Amino acid sequence: MAAPNLSHDPLGELPLIEGTQTDQTINDSLLTHVLRGAGKGWWMLFGCALSMLGLLVIAISWTLYKGIGVWGNNIPVGWAFGIINFVWWIGIGHAGTLISAILLLFQQKWRTSINRFAEAMTLFAVICALLFPLLHTGRPWFAAYWLMPYPSVQRIWPQFKSPLTWDVFAVSTYFTISLLFWFLGLVPDLAALRETTKSKTKRFIYGLFAMGWRGSGRHWAEYKWAYLLLAGLSTPLVLSVHTIVSFDFATSVIPGWHTTIFPPYFVAGAVFSGFAMVMTWMIPARHFLGLKHVVTMKHLENMNKIMLVTGMMVGYGYLMEHFIAWYSGNPYEMGQFFLTRWHGPMRWIFRTMMFCNVVVPQIFWLKRFRTSIPVMWVAAILINVGMWCERFNIVVTSLHRDFLPSSWKDYAPTWVDLSLFIGTIGLFSTLFLLFLKFVPAVALTEVKELRHELAEHDVVAGETHA
Amino acid sequence: MSCDDNHEARAKDRARRSLPVVGGDRVGERELGSREPVAGGTGPSQGPENNARPLPLWRSIEERSLLGPHPGAANEFPGGAAELDGVSRRSFMQLLGVSTAIATVGAACRKPNEKIIPFVRRPEETTPGNALHFATAYALEGYTSGLLVESHEGRPTKIEGNPAHPETIGATTVIEQALILGLYDDDRAKQLRRGGEAIAWQTYLADVRTRGAKLAEKGGAGLRFLTGPTTSPLLADLRRRILERFPQAKFVSYGAVANDGAVEGSKMAFGRPLVPRHHLAPAAVILSLDSDFLADGPEQTRLSREFGARREPSRDMNRLYVVEPAMTVTGGMADHRLRLRGSDVGSLVATLCGLLSGRGLSTLGPVGSLGHGQGSWDPKWLVALCGDLERNRGRSLIIAGRRHPPVVHSFCAALNVALGNLGSTVEYGAPLTTDATSGTAALGALAEDIAAGSVDTLVVTSENPVYSAPVDFKLAQLFKRVPNVIYHGLYEDETAATCNTFVPAAHALESWGDGRATDGIVSIVQPLIAPLWGGHTEAEVLSAFVGDGDLGTHELLRRYWRGMAKLPGNLAGSFDNVWERWLADGIVPDTGAGAESGVTINGQALAQAAAPLLARSGAGLEIAFAIDPKVFDGRFANNAWLQELAHPITKLTWDNGLLLSETTAKGLEVETGDVVEITYRDRKVEAPALIVPGHADDAITLPLGYGRTATGHVGRAVGFNGNELRTSDAPWFDRGATINKTGKRFKFAITQDHFTMSPDGRESPPPAVSAPLAEVLNAGSMFHEELEERRGPQAVIHQPVDYSGQAYKWGMAIDLNKCTGCNACVVACQSENNIASVGKDGVGRGREMQWIRIDRYFTGSPEDPEMINQPLGCVHCETAPCEYVCPVNATVHSDEGLNEMIYNRCIGTRYCSNNCPYKVRRFNFLDYTGDISAARELGMNPEVTVRSRGVMEKCTYCVQRIERARIATRIEGRTIADGELQTACQQGCPTQAIVFGSLNDPNSKVSQLHTDTRRYDLLHELGTRPRTAYLARVRNPNPELAKGD
Repeated sequence: MAAPNLSHDPLGELPLIEGTQTDQTINDSLLTHVLRGAGKGWWMLFGCALSMLGLLVIAISWTLYKGIGVWGNNIPVGWAFGIINFVWWIGIGHAGTLISAILLLFQQKWRTSINRFAEAMTLFAVICALLFPLLHTGRPWFAAYWLMPYPSVQRIWPQFKSPLTWDVFAVSTYFTISLLFWFLGLVPDLAALRETTKSKTKRFIYGLFAMGWRGSGRHWAEYKWAYLLLAGLSTPLVLSVHTIVSFDFATSVIPGWHTTIFPPYFVAGAVFSGFAMVMTWMIPARHFLGLKHVVTMKHLENMNKIMLVTGMMVGYGYLMEHFIAWYSGNPYEMGQFFLTRWHGPMRWIFRTMMFCNVVVPQIFWLKRFRTSIPVMWVAAILINVGMWCERFNIVVTSLHRDFLPSSWKDYAPTWVDLSLFIGTIGLFSTLFLLFLKFVPAVALTEVKELRHELAEHDVVAGETHA
Repeated sequence: MSCDDNHEARAKDRARRSLPVVGGDRVGERELGSREPVAGGTGPSQGPENNARPLPLWRSIEERSLLGPHPGAANEFPGGAAELDGVSRRSFMQLLGVSTAIATVGAACRKPNEKIIPFVRRPEETTPGNALHFATAYALEGYTSGLLVESHEGRPTKIEGNPAHPETIGATTVIEQALILGLYDDDRAKQLRRGGEAIAWQTYLADVRTRGAKLAEKGGAGLRFLTGPTTSPLLADLRRRILERFPQAKFVSYGAVANDGAVEGSKMAFGRPLVPRHHLAPAAVILSLDSDFLADGPEQTRLSREFGARREPSRDMNRLYVVEPAMTVTGGMADHRLRLRGSDVGSLVATLCGLLSGRGLSTLGPVGSLGHGQGSWDPKWLVALCGDLERNRGRSLIIAGRRHPPVVHSFCAALNVALGNLGSTVEYGAPLTTDATSGTAALGALAEDIAAGSVDTLVVTSENPVYSAPVDFKLAQLFKRVPNVIYHGLYEDETAATCNTFVPAAHALESWGDGRATDGIVSIVQPLIAPLWGGHTEAEVLSAFVGDGDLGTHELLRRYWRGMAKLPGNLAGSFDNVWERWLADGIVPDTGAGAESGVTINGQALAQAAAPLLARSGAGLEIAFAIDPKVFDGRFANNAWLQELAHPITKLTWDNGLLLSETTAKGLEVETGDVVEITYRDRKVEAPALIVPGHADDAITLPLGYGRTATGHVGRAVGFNGNELRTSDAPWFDRGATINKTGKRFKFAITQDHFTMSPDGRESPPPAVSAPLAEVLNAGSMFHEELEERRGPQAVIHQPVDYSGQAYKWGMAIDLNKCTGCNACVVACQSENNIASVGKDGVGRGREMQWIRIDRYFTGSPEDPEMINQPLGCVHCETAPCEYVCPVNATVHSDEGLNEMIYNRCIGTRYCSNNCPYKVRRFNFLDYTGDISAARELGMNPEVTVRSRGVMEKCTYCVQRIERARIATRIEGRTIADGELQTACQQGCPTQAIVFGSLNDPNSKVSQLHTDTRRYDLLHELGTRPRTAYLARVRNPNPELAKGD
C-alpha cells in the first residue's frame, strides 16, 4: 500500500506491533521469559538486587534497634531522607496508574504493551514508599496502628486535620486499587500460563491465582467491565495521591512548603518521574526479554513526549514558586527561593535539579533524540536523579533555613540514610526481577486483542507490508 | 554482671529513695508558697495577702494552713478522699495483688524482685508526693550564696535561690543550678584510699593521729595545708585550733580564680587590704574594666538583679560602658563597648584619670599623669565617658575585673573615691576570707617549700591545684616529692593522682558547713541528703588534726556556734531554737560586715607605686586566659548540663576554642576550626581556633577549665588545657604568643552558627528588636510604629478562641532589655524538667534538648558588634501550627491556652517540629534516658515525665508547677495569685527578665508587660498568636557617641 494510511493513529507513524504476529507467536514470545529457566544474567542482577535488599534489612534493623537518631535528621530538619524517598517512590508509582487507567479511558492503544510493566512498577514503588512513613516515626510500633481510625479503648481517634492522616488513607487506597488493577489484568495471562506450563506445581499455583478463569464469553464481558470500573476508580487516584502527599507540605507554614501550586506541580512531577523510571527499566527489559516487537520505538517516543510535557509543567511549577515568592513580598519566601535555594549550602542539589528536570527534557523537542535509545535512557536516569533532588530541595532545603536564623542548621545524611535509599532500590529491583521471572511482563491478552483490533482495521504494519 | 548485683543495686536505690536519709536535725522546710521573700520582702511578686503582715514561719503545709485564713483547709485529705477518684482503696489493693502476682510470675532477670518498704511510721514533716524546701548555701569561691533546695522524699531535685539571702535574692547562677547533676554524678570519687588501698575512715583518723603526734613534736614543722578560699567561720576556727597545736604549720589558700588584684590594689590605694563591694542600684553610669560582673564572681546574682532593675526605659536608666578584650555577658549588655587588649587596660585607666583630673577631680592628678594619653582606643570614646562620669559623681561606678593586676584595681579605687562613689555605689570592707589573697603568690611560696624538701605532710583541700595551678610551679612533680599528701576532692582527678591519701569529698548538698556572703551575712550549710558515697567534708578532714575527726561536721558546727560568746541576732530561746531558726531562714541575722571607714587615698604615693607597674608591656600577640562561664576553673568539667550548655557568646558546647578576632585571624590566615599551635614562653599547646565578633585585635583568649585528663567520663578530653601555658607571673595576660597552623581541622559543636539576624541578607523583620532610649521614649518614633505592626489583632478568617471565661490564661513576657544571656534559665529548665543531655555528637548533629535556648545575635560590624539575647522556649501559640499537623492528637491545646504535649500518645513523626516556626520542639532521636545511672535517677523531678526514645518534647510553661499551685490554692479555696507561681526559668533568672502569669488578670505583672509599649510578638506576621511576648531591648547610648555623629 503506497498511500499513507490516514486512519492510522495520528500520534505515530511507527507501528505498535512489529513483524508478522499471530496469537501463537505473541503467546510464545511473551511467555518465553517466564517459562524458560533463569539465565545467568538474571541471576547476576538478582544477586545484586538481593544484596542491596540485605542492606535495607540491616538499615531497618539498626533504625529500629537504636532509634531514628541513626539517621541524619535533626531539629530543624525533622524530615529528610525518609520523606524524600517516600515522595520519590510514590511519584514513581504514578506512571503505572496513569498508563493503565487514564490512557485506557482515553482509549490510547499504545498503552497496551507497557501497562503491565508500568503497573507492576507502581505496585513495587508504592511498597518501597510505604516503608518510609512507618520507619521515619520515632515509635513505629505505635505508628503502625495509631494512625488508623479504629475505635480503641483509648478513645482517641487520629487527628483528621493532619495531612499525615490523609496520607494514610490516600496511599493505602492507592495501593489497594493498584494491586487489584494489576491483578485483574493478570488473571487471563495467569490462565494462559496455567495452560502452557509443564510443571505440575506451577500449574497449581498459576491456576490458583487464575481464579478459575476459563476465557468464556461471560468471563470476558465481566472482566472488561471490572477492568473499566477499576480504571475509573484509579483515575482520580492519579491526581489525588500526590495531591494529598503535597498537602503534607502545602498546609504547613514553612517557606518553600506553604504553596498552593503544590498539588498540580506534585502530580506533574510524579508522572514525570514515573515515566522516567519506566523508561529506565523498559529500555533494557525490552532488549533482554525480546519484547522489541511489542514495545516499539513508537511507545518509547510517546513516553518521551509525555516526559517533555510533564517536565515543562514541573518547570512551570518552579517558575511560579519563584514568582509567587517575589510577588508576595514575603521576606521569608524570597529568602527561601532567591537566596537559600540558589546560593545556600544546598545549592548544588537545587542546581542539579534545575538541570535535570528543566534542561534535560528539552532535548526531546528533537525527534533525533526522542528516538535515540542511548539518549533517552541517559535522560531518563537524569530525570530520576533530578526528581530525587527536587524532593530533597522541598524537604530539606526548606527546613534547614526557615524563619529564625538562630535555629538554622545544616543537614548531612548518615550511612543508614544512604543504605535505606539504596536498599529500597534493591527491594524494588528484587520485586521487579521476580515479576519478570514469574508473570508475563506484557499483557499478552491485551496485546493479542490489540493485534486483532489492528488487523481488523488492516493496519498492522507487518501484515500490510507483507 | 550477674542478675543479683542488679537486684542489690536497685534495692539499695529503692531504699535510698524511700527513706529519709539526712542525719542531724535538718530544719527549714518550706512549701511552694514560700518562694516569695519571707519577711519584709520588697519583691514585686508578693501576693496581696502577704503584704498585710510579716509572714509567720511555718513548717509544713498543714501548719501553714492553720495559720492562714482558711482553717478548714488544714483537712487536706478528708475521710474517704481515697474513694473519690473512682478506684477505691480496696479495689486498688486487689489490683495491686493481681499485678504483683503477674509481675512475680513474669519476673525474669529484667524484673528484680524488689521489696518496697513503706513508711511504717511516716516521718514527721514528710508527706509522700509533696516536696519540701530547705535553705542552704553554696560557696563557689569562698563566698556563699543562699539556696533553697527542693527535696522529694529525701532526694534533692531542684535548686533555687533563697529569696531571703542578700546575695541571691531568690535567683541563681548557672553553676548553682547545675549542682544537682553534680550531686548525683556517678563518676564522683567513692573510696577513701591510701595509695591504692581502700581504707576506712577510722584508719584515716588513726593515720592522722600517729602522724599528727609525730608532727606535733616538732611544732608542726613540715605540715602544710593547701585550702581553697573560704569564709567559713568553722574552718577558720579549725585553722586556729590546728595552728595552736602545730604552731609551725602553715596554711595556704589557692584558687585558680582569685580576687587578689582587688585586695592588693586596695592595699596600694588605701594602704590596707580591702575588698570592694558594689551596688548598682544607685549607679547611673557604670564602667566595667574587663569585669564580667553580671556573670562572674560572688556578687553576680545580686548585681544582675540591681542592674536589671535600672534598665527600665526612663531618664533614670543606667548606662553601661565596658572595656574588655573578649566579648562577655556584661560586654553584651553594654551601651558602649570598647574592645581593648587586657594589657592596655592599665594605660586606659591612667588616661581616664588624667582626663578627669583635668575636669576638676584634682586628686586624680598624680595618677593621671601616668597615662600616655593615647592608645588603640578612640579618644572621643574616652572623652564622652569622662563627661558622663563627671556629670554623675556619686552615682557612677567603676568596676575592675579580677583578671587585672593590682595597679588597675588601685586606679579604679582612686577613681571611685574621686568621683564620690564611696559609700553609694561601692564600699570597701576588710576581706572576709580567712586568707586575704588566694592567688599564685602564696602558692609559689608553698612550691618553694616543697622544692626545698621542708614539707612532710601536705593536706590539700583546694580544688584540684595540680590541674589549675600555673604550669611553672610543676605541682604534679612537687607533690610526688612530699612524703605524705592528703587530698580531699570530689573526683579522682589530676591532683588525686599525685597524692598518697585520698579522701572523697562530700558534695555541697551532702555537707554541713557555714560561710559568709560578700556582705558578711553568715549562712549555715545544711545537707539535703546523706553522702551518697560516703564523702567527707573539709571540716572533717581538718578536724582530724585536732583529734575531732570522728565528731562529724554537724557536731563540729554546732559546737562552734554554741560556743560563741554572744549568739548573733540576739534571739531569745535556747541554742536549739536559734539554730533551727538559722537553718530555716538560711541566714544568720546580724552577721553582716560593715564597710571600713576612713578610707582615703594618697594620690602621690599611689602614683609613685604604680608608675613602675604600669610600664610593663611586652610586644607581640597578646595571650589572655579567661574564666569559663560554664565549667569555671574546670571543676564542673564532669557536669553534662554545663558542658552541653551553649556558651553565652560563642554558643559553643562540649569544648573550648582559641578565641580571636576576624582581623587577627585573617592576618594569621586562620579560620574557625583550624587547629593551631600556640607557642608561648617555649611551651606549646594545640587548640582549635574560633573566630568571635568583638574580640580585640592582636590578641587571643584561651578559656580555662577544659582539657581535663583525669575526671569522670563526661569531662575527660573535652577541649584543650590552657593552664599548660599559664604561668605564675602572668596568670591572665601577657604578650609574646605565636600561632602556627598545624593543618589539622577540628569540628566544633555549636548550637547557633549564625551571628546576625539576617545571615544571607534577607530583609526579614529582626527577631530581636532593639532601639535607642531616645526613640523608645518618643511615642511617635519609628520604633513604636514598627512595633505596632508586630503585635495586636490581625485579619483572620476563623475567630480566635476566646479565653476570657477561663480562670487563667497563661502567658509570659520576656524583657530583652533585662536578659543578659547568662543561661541560668536554660539550666534551671533542664533541672526542673528532667531534660536529657545528648553529648557532643548529638549537639553537632543539631539535636540538643534544652527546652529554652538563648538566641544570640550580633548587629553592626563584626569588629565592634552589639549583642542581643533572646531567650526562646515554646511560645504557646493560640493558633499553634504544631497542633493541627499531628496525626495522632499528641499535641493539643488546653483550656487555659497551654500548648500541651502528650508524650504517651506521640509517635514521633516530627511534623510538629517541622511546622513550628520557632523551632522550639525537641525530639528524642535516641534513647537518652534509658541508661542513666541509678544515682542520676534519684535527681529526676518526680513531677515531670522522663521521656523515652522517639518522642517529641518541649517547654510546657512548667505545667507541673501550675498544677501544684492549683492544688494548693484549691485546697485553700482561692485562685492562684499573681507571682505565687513561677516557672523554673523565671525563678532562676537573676535579672527577672522573664515574667509568667495569667493574662486574664489585668493587674498581673505579665498582663501589664503585654500592654507595654515595647511589647512585640515574635513572628507576629504568621498569625500564630504566641502567648510569650517580648519587650524590645533599649540601648542607652551617650548622646556624644550616638551613631552618625
